Amino acid sequence: MARAKLDEVTKIFTEDDGSEVVAVDDVTLDIDDGEFLVLVGPSGCGKSTTLRMVAGLETITDGEIRLDGTVINDVPAKDRDIAMVFQSYALYPHMSVRGNMSFGLEESTNLGDDEIAKRVEESAGMMGIGDLLDRKPSDLSGGQQQRVALGRAIVRDPAVFLMDEPLSNLDAKLRAQMRTELQRLQNELDVTTIYVTHDQTEAMTMGDRIAILDDGELQQVGTPLECYHRPKNLFVAGFIGDPPMNFLQVTNEDGTLIDHSFEYPLPPQVASAVEGTDSLVLGVRPEDIELEPDQSRADDHTISATIDVVEPMGDENVVYLRLADGATVARPDLAEQDAAEGTDVNDAAVEGSDDAKGGIAGESRSTIIATIGGMQHFDDGQDISIRIPPDAIHVFDADSTEALHNRTLQDADAVPGI
Amino acid sequence: MLELIAAVRSDGTTGDTGDDEDERSGRSRWERLRQSDFVRSAPFWGPPFLLMGFFVYAAIGWNFLLSLTDYERFQGPDYSNLDFGMYRRMLDDPTFWEATQNTLILLIVFTVACLVAGLLLAILLDREVRFGRGFRTIYLLPMSLSFIVTAQFWKWMYNSQFGIINEFFGLFGLGPYGWLSNPDLVLFSVIFALVWQFSGYTMIVYLAALRAIPQDQYEAARVDGASTLKLYWRVIIPQLKPAMVSASVVLLLFSLKAFDFLFALFDGYQPRKGADILSTMMVREAFARSQWAYSSAIAIVLFLLSLAVIAPYLYQQHRQGNL
Amino acid sequence: MTTAPPQETDSTSSDGIRALPLRTAGYYLLLLGLVVFYLLPMETGFMTSIKTAVGVRESLPFLLPGTDLSFQIPFVEFDVDTMLEQTTDEKWRDAYDTLSRGMVNSMLFTIPSTILCAIFGSMAAYGLTLVKWRGQVFVLALFIAGIFIPYQAVIIPLTELYGFIDLQYRLGAIWALPFLSEERHPTILELIITHTAYGIPICTVLFRAQYQTMSWEMIEAARLDGAGLWRIYRRIVLPLSIPMFSVVFIFQFTQIWNEFLFSVTLIRSSVDEAASVTLILGQLGQAIEGTDFPLRMAGAFVAAAPTIVVYILFTDKFAEGVRV
Repeated sequence: MARAKLDEVTKIFTEDDGSEVVAVDDVTLDIDDGEFLVLVGPSGCGKSTTLRMVAGLETITDGEIRLDGTVINDVPAKDRDIAMVFQSYALYPHMSVRGNMSFGLEESTNLGDDEIAKRVEESAGMMGIGDLLDRKPSDLSGGQQQRVALGRAIVRDPAVFLMDEPLSNLDAKLRAQMRTELQRLQNELDVTTIYVTHDQTEAMTMGDRIAILDDGELQQVGTPLECYHRPKNLFVAGFIGDPPMNFLQVTNEDGTLIDHSFEYPLPPQVASAVEGTDSLVLGVRPEDIELEPDQSRADDHTISATIDVVEPMGDENVVYLRLADGATVARPDLAEQDAAEGTDVNDAAVEGSDDAKGGIAGESRSTIIATIGGMQHFDDGQDISIRIPPDAIHVFDADSTEALHNRTLQDADAVPGI
Repeated sequence: MLELIAAVRSDGTTGDTGDDEDERSGRSRWERLRQSDFVRSAPFWGPPFLLMGFFVYAAIGWNFLLSLTDYERFQGPDYSNLDFGMYRRMLDDPTFWEATQNTLILLIVFTVACLVAGLLLAILLDREVRFGRGFRTIYLLPMSLSFIVTAQFWKWMYNSQFGIINEFFGLFGLGPYGWLSNPDLVLFSVIFALVWQFSGYTMIVYLAALRAIPQDQYEAARVDGASTLKLYWRVIIPQLKPAMVSASVVLLLFSLKAFDFLFALFDGYQPRKGADILSTMMVREAFARSQWAYSSAIAIVLFLLSLAVIAPYLYQQHRQGNL
Repeated sequence: MTTAPPQETDSTSSDGIRALPLRTAGYYLLLLGLVVFYLLPMETGFMTSIKTAVGVRESLPFLLPGTDLSFQIPFVEFDVDTMLEQTTDEKWRDAYDTLSRGMVNSMLFTIPSTILCAIFGSMAAYGLTLVKWRGQVFVLALFIAGIFIPYQAVIIPLTELYGFIDLQYRLGAIWALPFLSEERHPTILELIITHTAYGIPICTVLFRAQYQTMSWEMIEAARLDGAGLWRIYRRIVLPLSIPMFSVVFIFQFTQIWNEFLFSVTLIRSSVDEAASVTLILGQLGQAIEGTDFPLRMAGAFVAAAPTIVVYILFTDKFAEGVRV
C-alpha cells in the first residue's frame, strides 16, 4: 500500500531518424493510498507510456515518480514492489497456473515454499480459480486466463497494482461482469491501483477518480461525475459520455448565441461568463435535449430539425437529427483526435475499437444526437423542434477550447463527488 | 466434403439407371475411389514419392540385404547364403568400437556445444542492435560453405608449424600442440571447427523462436521481480524447448553422417587415430577396402542410430499435431 | 522469414543498454569479437592465398604479406617493398585453372537437380498438404525421415545400381549428340538423378511449411468454384509459392554445390572428366613434399565463390531454408 506521485513527468521517444516524439508531456498526478485511479484517453494519448514508466518498463525523460515519498526513477522494475496486469495477460505458457502465480513471490521475496503455496491457494480461492491451479494457460478460456493474470498480481500483495487495459480482450458480457468484480476486489484489498483504458465506460464506472489524457497532456483529473458534469474543456466534454456531447459552433452577440439558422439567448449569468468571447461552442448532452413534435410550441430555446434515424435501444431511443439549413456542428476535439498519430505502442492494439468510435464521430459532425425515453415514438424524416434547456448547456471558448460555463445542477449535493 | 459430393452424385446417376444392387455398389465403390482425394492427389505426390522412396527406402532395404552376404566389390554378391556374419565381425572389430566411441563423443559434445553457443548468440542478437543483420550474416556465413572448403581453412588454422592456433598459444609460451595429430586432441579440434561452422545454424533456429515470444513476457517477468539471469533461465529459455528439440535432431543426425569434413581434413578415407567415426569407417571399408558387405552392415548400424533419433521425434511431432 | 516485432519506441531503454554506455560498449565489443572469431579462418585463408612461399614462412598467417606484429605503436611492422615482393596472384590463377573444369561440372548437375527438386517438392507438398486424405501423415513421415537418413546407408546400393544400369552403355546413342561426351555426361546424369532424389524430402518439407500457412478456405472456395486439383495448383498455389521457390533454389543450390559424399563415391577420382569442384578441391595441392597451403586456400575461395555470392545476396532466404 502506498501513495504514488507523478511530478511533472515527461517521456520523449527518439525515433530512428532522430526526430523526437513527446509521448507524455509534463504530467502531474497524485494517487492516494488505496485509491483506484483510471487513466483514460484515446489511442496514442500516452496513458500506457505513463503506466509503463510507473512500472519501470520505460525510462523517465524528465520529472519524478515517487512511491511513498521515495523517488523511484532509477529503481529497476524488479525492485519496485509493483504488480502489473497486461492487456495480453502475459501468462508464462510453459508454467502451470500455480507456477505463474508463485513465480513473482519466488523471485521477489524470500518466502519459504510452504508460505508461497499458502498464499497462492488463498489468492486463487479469492479469484475462483482454485481448481485450475495445475492447468497450463493454454488449457484455459479467455476469462479464466484473465483471472489468473489478476491472481498473479494479487498474490504479490504489492504496493501498487498497475493494469493495462486488462479487460479489453474479453467479450462484452464478461467485461461487464469483470468490471464489477475488479471493483469489489480492489475495495477489499484496498491497494493503490492505476488502471489504463481507452473505454470511457470503464473509466466512469470503475475509477475513484479518472485522469483524462490527450496527446500526452493531462486534460482533467477528477471524480467520474465531476468530469462528466464539469468538463474543463471540449476534449473532456466530448470524450466522457456515450453517446457524446453535442457541439454547435456559434458566435456570441451580446449574450445571444447566433448561428445562421437559429438564435439562442443565454441566461444572464451565463452571458456574463462568456462576455468578451465571440467565437463559442455550445455543448449539450444527448439526454438533456427535449424533442418537441409540435412545432407551433417553438420558443427561444428551440431549434427546428429533421429526424434522420431512430435507434431503439428498448429502455431509450437514440435519435439522430439533422439541423435545418446546415447549422455548424462542431467537434474540434474529435478532429484533433483523428489527427493525433498513435505514438503509444500498447495503444496501437486497441486502435480498432477507436476506429469504430471515429466512424460515429464522423457522422455526428452533421448530426445532433438526442436520447429520449423508450416509450416515445418518432418517425424517420419527421420535422420537429428540439429544445435545449438553458440550465443544461455548456459553453466553450472555440479558440482555447476551455469551458467558460458548465451546466447548472439543481441539486449539486445529490450528486456525490462534485 | 468433396468426397461426400462425389458419393451423392454417383449414387444419383446409378439410381436413375436402375442397375441391380451388386453392380451398383461395385460401381459406386470404384467411382468413389476414382473421385477420392487420395487418388486424385496421387499425380502430385506420387512421382516424387516413388523417386525418393526408391532411392531412400528401397536402397536401405537393398543395403540390408547386402549386409547379410559376404560381398566384396567386383566379385558379385551371393544372395543364396544370408547370415549375420558381418555383424558378428563388426562386434569383434576393435576399429568399430573405437569409431563407435568417437561417434558418441562427437554426437554429445558437438550437439551440446552448438546448442549452448547458438543460444548465447541468439540472445545477444535478439534486441535492437545496430547492424544486427550484418552480425547475423557473418555468424551464419560458415554454414553456407562446403565442408571441403572449411576443412581447408581449419587444416591451416591447426597447422602445427604455422597455424594461428599454435601461434596464439605460443604467445603464452605454450605448445606447439599437434591439434590434428595428437589422438587425445584431434577429436576435440574437429568438434571445435564444426561448432564454428554450425553455431550460426542454432542461432538462426533460436532467433526465430525468441522473436515469437511476445515482449510482455519479458516485462511481466521483470515486474515479477526476476533478474535478467532468472528471466532467461526461468521464463525465456523454457519457451525455447521446441526449437531446442528440432535443432538437436538436426545436430545429432549430422554427427552421425559427418564425413566430408573429416575426409577433407585428413586428405583421405583414413582420419588420424582418435578421429575415426562410424561414418568415415563405413565409407573407408567400402571404397578403400572394397568390403561391401561389411560396410553395408556398418551403414545399417548408422541407419538404426539415426532411426533412434528420428522416430521419437516424428512421433512426438505427430502427437503434438505438428505433422 | 521472422521479422522483429514492430518497435517504434526505444525498446533499448527497457533493456537498459542506452542508459549504460559502458555496457553498450562492452556489448558491441563482444559482438565484434565474435565477428573476428567467425571470420578469422577465412581471413587467414585469404591472406595465405596471396602469399609467395617466402611470404608464408615470414609473416603470421593472418597478416598481409611482408608485415609482422611488434610491441611498439602501431604494433605492425610494415614494408611496402617486402609486401609486394611476397604477394602473388599465382596461386589464384593455378587454383582457377585446376578448378574451372570442376566448376562447370558442378554447375551442370547442380542447376538441373535444384530445379527438379523444387518442382517435385512443391508438387509433393501440395498433394500432401492442401489435399486432405487419410493416411497422408504416414507418407509425410517417410518424406521427413528421408531428410535425415545418413547417405552412408544408401551409397553402396547406389553404386551398385549405376554399375548395373550403366547409363553410358544404355543411352549410348545420346552421348554421340553434339556437346555431349561419353566420358563425362553419363556421370553428370547420374549425379542429377541422385541429387534430385535425395533433395526431394527437404524441398517437400520446405514447401509444406509454407502451404500450411495458406488459407484452407481459399482452397475450398476454389474447389466450390469448380476448379480441379491441377487448376488450383497452377492458378493459385504455384503463383503464391514463388517466394518459397526462391528459398528452395538458394538453399538447395548451396547444398548440392557443397556436397561431397556422392561426388567421391560416384565420380571417384578428381582426374575424372566429370569431377565436381569439391572433389578436385579435396585433392588440390597435395604433393609428396607436403600440402601447398596457399594453393589450397585460393582453391577453397574459388570453389566457394558461387555459394558465397549467393549467400551474401540472399542471406534471409538461405537462413529460412536452413531453419526448417
